[in-house]
This record gives sequence, structure tokens and C-alpha cells, in this order.
Amino acid sequence: MKKGNILIVLLLSCILVTGCTSQEILERIGLVTLIGYDAAEEDKVTATSVIRQINPELQSKVEVQSETESTSRGTRVKVDMKTSKKLAAGQLRVILFGEDLAKNGIEDALHTTMMNNEISTSIYLAVVKGTSKSLLEYPYKDVTDVGQHIYNLMDHNIEQQHIISSTLHEIVRDNYSEVRNFALPILRKNGEFIQFDGTAFFSHGKMVGNLPAGDNFYILMMQDNFKDSTLELVLDGQSIDSSKFEEKQLQIAIDSIKTKRKIKVVNPEQNEFDLTIDMKCRLLEINSLIPTSDAKLLEKIEKAINEKVKNELSRILKYSQEVNSDIYGFGEQYRAQVRGAKLTDQKWREMFQDMKVNVDVDVEIIRNGVFE
Amino acid sequence: MKSTLQIGNDEKFNASLFFFVIAAAQVGVGIHGFQRVVVKDAGHDAWISVILAALFSHIVVFFMIKTLELYPSNDLYGIHLDIFGKFIGSIVNIIYVLYCTFAFYSVIKNYIEVINTWVFPDLSQSFITTVLLILVIYAFTGGLRVMLGVCFFSFMTGLWILIVVYMPLKYAHYNHLLPLFGHDITSIFKGAYSMTFTIVGFEVINTLYPYAKEKNKVQKYVHLALLCTLFIYLSVILVSLVYFSEAQLERTLWATLTLFTVIKLPFIERIEIIIICFWTIIILPNLCLFAWSAYRGVKRFKNVKGTTFIWLFSILMFIANIPMQSRTQIDDINNFFAQIAFVIVFLYPILLYIMASLKNVLRKGGRKNEKG
Repeated sequence: MKKGNILIVLLLSCILVTGCTSQEILERIGLVTLIGYDAAEEDKVTATSVIRQINPELQSKVEVQSETESTSRGTRVKVDMKTSKKLAAGQLRVILFGEDLAKNGIEDALHTTMMNNEISTSIYLAVVKGTSKSLLEYPYKDVTDVGQHIYNLMDHNIEQQHIISSTLHEIVRDNYSEVRNFALPILRKNGEFIQFDGTAFFSHGKMVGNLPAGDNFYILMMQDNFKDSTLELVLDGQSIDSSKFEEKQLQIAIDSIKTKRKIKVVNPEQNEFDLTIDMKCRLLEINSLIPTSDAKLLEKIEKAINEKVKNELSRILKYSQEVNSDIYGFGEQYRAQVRGAKLTDQKWREMFQDMKVNVDVDVEIIRNGVFE
Repeated sequence: MKSTLQIGNDEKFNASLFFFVIAAAQVGVGIHGFQRVVVKDAGHDAWISVILAALFSHIVVFFMIKTLELYPSNDLYGIHLDIFGKFIGSIVNIIYVLYCTFAFYSVIKNYIEVINTWVFPDLSQSFITTVLLILVIYAFTGGLRVMLGVCFFSFMTGLWILIVVYMPLKYAHYNHLLPLFGHDITSIFKGAYSMTFTIVGFEVINTLYPYAKEKNKVQKYVHLALLCTLFIYLSVILVSLVYFSEAQLERTLWATLTLFTVIKLPFIERIEIIIICFWTIIILPNLCLFAWSAYRGVKRFKNVKGTTFIWLFSILMFIANIPMQSRTQIDDINNFFAQIAFVIVFLYPILLYIMASLKNVLRKGGRKNEKG
């Protein structure tokens, strides 16, 4: 045999042998698709895992297992002892935190998750009202795989910008940032359903407050730009057309909302910001008495929307300042716009609480359906 | 000059191939995690450090080629022997051979560490080393032309990764980059110094230059290759800076790989696993070229055959690999290597150029005197 041939044989055997390293055969592993963490006594943590087991002959089985231990790896070993298949966390999609644990702080849990190379940074995080164990262990009538169900629930709502985007990456980024805090959506069991119940505000890894689901729109508006969103509003009917319209309240719905958010530091010493929101939308539902062809009237409606949105934004901003959680990135903007700001964690916490924000909303209704 | 190399025309290759050689030699294991060290010094201005480091490498390469042009058919080892004489020249040659060996070793160690943390935690280091060494032996025994082919293919087949780098921009916060020049010039220079480990590799030109067919064109292609790697490094650092928060980046060991974990493609969920395995092809030119550079130096002492050399070299590498197993040891190796590389790659060539041109002037002067 020539020397070159020996090498080729060696190379080929390498290729074959590399196939033998740590096998993960789908039928022989249990895929953990969701983990819920709850606080337990003596600083221990209860982990509830939703395990999907692929069975080649029958329908795949979903198992919910719960264990209490001091570390999350410890709970995994304990759960391993109860399942017939080896557990693999590579398909993890969602991590839930019980309310108590969230209030005690989730920083350690985040750190553990980031250290694990198996877990992708694109998984979603959320807080559960009550304990995640009770949410996961309940046998829902129409849900076969609760892990997949919650993932899909979060995925499409985040995609549609109905709830705050809470991928592991974003949360960790904001958690380690000195000038920003993060927020998580809250999930709640409601009878036979699981639904969103609002937004939890965090400061230094601890849950410090929450706002109901109705405020999600405004929180997102300050945090990011909308690409396509829908909103229902109650306006003051009198201010629009008192002659034709006698009722006090005027309900309208707008959709195809596109917004552009701008934060500008106008006065660094005084800690003063300008928050400008440009909004373009389509008027979709309105009282039939109001002629939408009237440009002047539309202008009045725009003004009323401006006023309404502005008030809501100011209210939510005030709440965030009360709980001291800057989830909108005012600190980040301050650091970026003010040269030599040298913002530290402590400094920004104090500044955020007494910052002044001039909110300015500019709504433009660009079209209104196919019928006037 | 008795140390001149005898290179047949069929052994020489086109100057345009230098583009692929230099680009492939530069991109290696450093790119996995260079953000962390640079950001530690230069903060959000790290991208300026990257540009500075690339600028320095352009200057150094300019001097390297100028030195080599003084000796058209000789490599660095011959130049040493000519300038320093037999004894000191040999010592300097030994140092350079050791440097190449060390570079080889450090590339292998870092790559194994990545494989062990991200893909196969329980795979033995010796096994991975063996696989890599067999690949190197295969390419090496094929001769210089095969190694150039490896460089070419490594570059061309690795290009798609650049597209993947831009995908995480979905989560970008562009204001992380502001304010420009927020750090003083010293920290930016320090950041550039931290780039050493990542940016070295182009020094293989020292031993490859005599093999170029059109010597006057080499300079153009080498500078083009440096521009190309600058573009790669700059893309990676810019994406990382807008994607991660600063404190998070300082804690992320392999930021480039963490960057990839957020990407979800319809046909594959964890692209970083594929990329890490693919990296074998990216580091193969590194290993081959460093081994070859060392070989050229060894050949000056004892006329060994390439095959004998590479087998002995591989056995040595295999043994040296066994005692160093932990992460902290590898970090120490990297820091030590970076210091040595800075002296050998960035400072020494300029010094050598001054000495070589002095010698050249003296020699010409000497000849004139003889004639006169």
C-alpha cells in the first residue's frame, strides 16, 4: 500500500468514527420543551418540566414532571430518575417563572440558563401569576402539549406585537446593561385557557410591579416601533362634534398602525427628554353618524386620539418611574446622546426617577376603509 | 548569499493566490470570541480599535514585503542568516520556528475547547487532536499546492457564514454605538493591542514570498486580503456591539457563537452547531501554513523530508496537548501567545527592515569600494 492510501484510509475512518460520538437518538430521549421555575422553602427551587417523548409507533406522549432541589441541574437529575428516557434540553422553547420567584429575583436563573450551551438564546421567558407548577400540571381540555401550546401562544403574540418581546437574549442584554431594565409578559390560567394578563416590570432581576394587559399597546409603543398593530380607543364625544353627536363617549378602532418612536435628550443637566411618536393608521370602526369624508372632522378625531394616547403614555411612564424600571431605554439614549455621561447603575436609577419627559404624539389617519 | 532557496518554476504559484492564503490564515479561532477582550478595553468604541489594528497590520505587511524584496529568492530564515550571521541567525530562526509551533498549538487548543463546550462535552481532547492532526498531515504531505488549495476552498466555502452574521440585526439597538469616540485614545489603542491574537496570521508571507511567480504583484494581493479580513472583523464587531449590551459582551466568552444561537432557520434551528463543525475547514489553512512555516525553518538546520517532519511534528503536538486541559490554562496560553505575537509580528518586522536596508546599503558601499 502506498503512503497516500494509508492516509486516505485514516481520513475515511475518522469520518466514520466521528459518527460514534455521543449519540442522541430521537426515540431514546425526552425533549424538555418548557421549564417552569417556582420558589420553594429554604432557597430551593422547584422546576416543573414539560417533556415530550417521541414514540415511533404511537402518538407522542407529553409528561409533566416536577422536582425541588437547590440547583436547577439538581432538579434535572431528580427528574431523570423518574423518566424512562434521557432528558435533553436542546429543544427548550419557553421558561416560566412563578410570581414568588420573580419577586425574589430571577438573576440567578438567567445566569444558569446563559451558562448552558444547550439552550438557545431565542427562547421566550414569561412570568406566571401564581405558580408555574399549577399552570402546567392542570389537564387542559383542548391542549395536548402544554409546552408547545405556550410557545405558540407567545410566538404569534410577540410576532404581532401584542405583548412585549421577551427572548432570553433581550432579557439578558437588558439585565446586564447598566442603564436599562427589562419587562416580561405575565401568563395566567383562566379556566380552561392560558392567557396573557399584563406586563411585569423588573428592576435588578426582581419583579417590582405590573400593569394590566390593556396597557401593553402603550408600553410597546414607547419601547419599539410598531409595524402593524390594532387599537381600540374611547374618545370624548363632545370634543369632536357636539351638535351631531350627543353621546359622551365615542368608541373607535384603528389598525395598520405604524409608529416611529424618537427619544431626544433636550436638556442633559435638567434631565429632560422629548419623546416623540409619529403614528400612521387606518380608521376602521367608528360611529355610523360621523361622516368620515369630512377632513375637518378627521382632524378633530386625530387631535382627540393624540390627546388620549399622550395621557396614557404619561400615566404609564409615571408608573415605571414609581417602580423605577426603565424598560424603554431612556438611559441608553442618555448615554448615547450625552458625551461623557458616565452613567452608572446607581446614578441612572436616581436620575430615572426624577427625569422629565415631554410626550408628543402625532397621529395621522391615512385612510378609512372602503365605505364612507 | 549562499542561503538562497532553489525553487523550480513549477513549484511557484500565482501572486493572486496570496489573497486567499492571507485571508484564510488570518481568520481562525480568534474570531469566535475577540469581542470580549477588545470591548473590555475600548468599550463601545471597539470597532475603532479593530480598524486601528488592521491599519497596523497594513503597515507591518508593507515593511515585511519591503524586507523580502531586498532578497528576492529568500525567505525570512535566509534573511536572518544573512543579516545576523550563522550563529545568531540560527538562534533567531529557532525562535521563529518555536513561534510558528506555538501558534499551531494555540489554534488547536482553542478549537478543541470550543468543540468541547458547545458540541460534544464528553468527547476526549486527544481524539479531536488526532482527527485534526491527520487532516493536517494529509494536506501537508500533498505539498504546498495542496495547502494552497485548502486555503482557497476554506475561504470560498466559508463565505456564507458572513450572511448569517447579519441575521441577528433584528435585535439591534444602534444607539449602543454612540457617542463616537466616547473612550480616550489610550483605551482604544489598548483595544487594538488586544486584537493581536485575532489578527495575526499574515506573517506566513515571510516564508511564502519566494514562491510567488510575479513578485511585484504580491503586495497588492496581500493588502487586498487584509482589507477583506478587516471587513469580516468589522462586520462581526459592529453586529456584536449593537446586539449585545456592553456588560453582557464582557461576560460572553464566545460572543460570535452566542450571536448565532438566536438565529432560527426553517430547516435548522441551531446553526451554530453546524458553524462550529464547519470551522474545521476554516482553521485547517491556519494549521497547515504554520506547520509549513515551521518546516521551512527546521529545514535550514537539517535537511528532513516533509513527511518525516510533519509526522514528528504531529506526535509532538499530540503529546503537548495532553497536560493542558482546563479553560484557565488555555486563557493563559492565549495571553502569553498574544504577547509574543505582538513582538514577533508587529514590532520585529520593522526593526528587521531597518537592519536589512542598512546591510544592503553597506554591501553596495562595500562593492563600490572594491571596484574603486
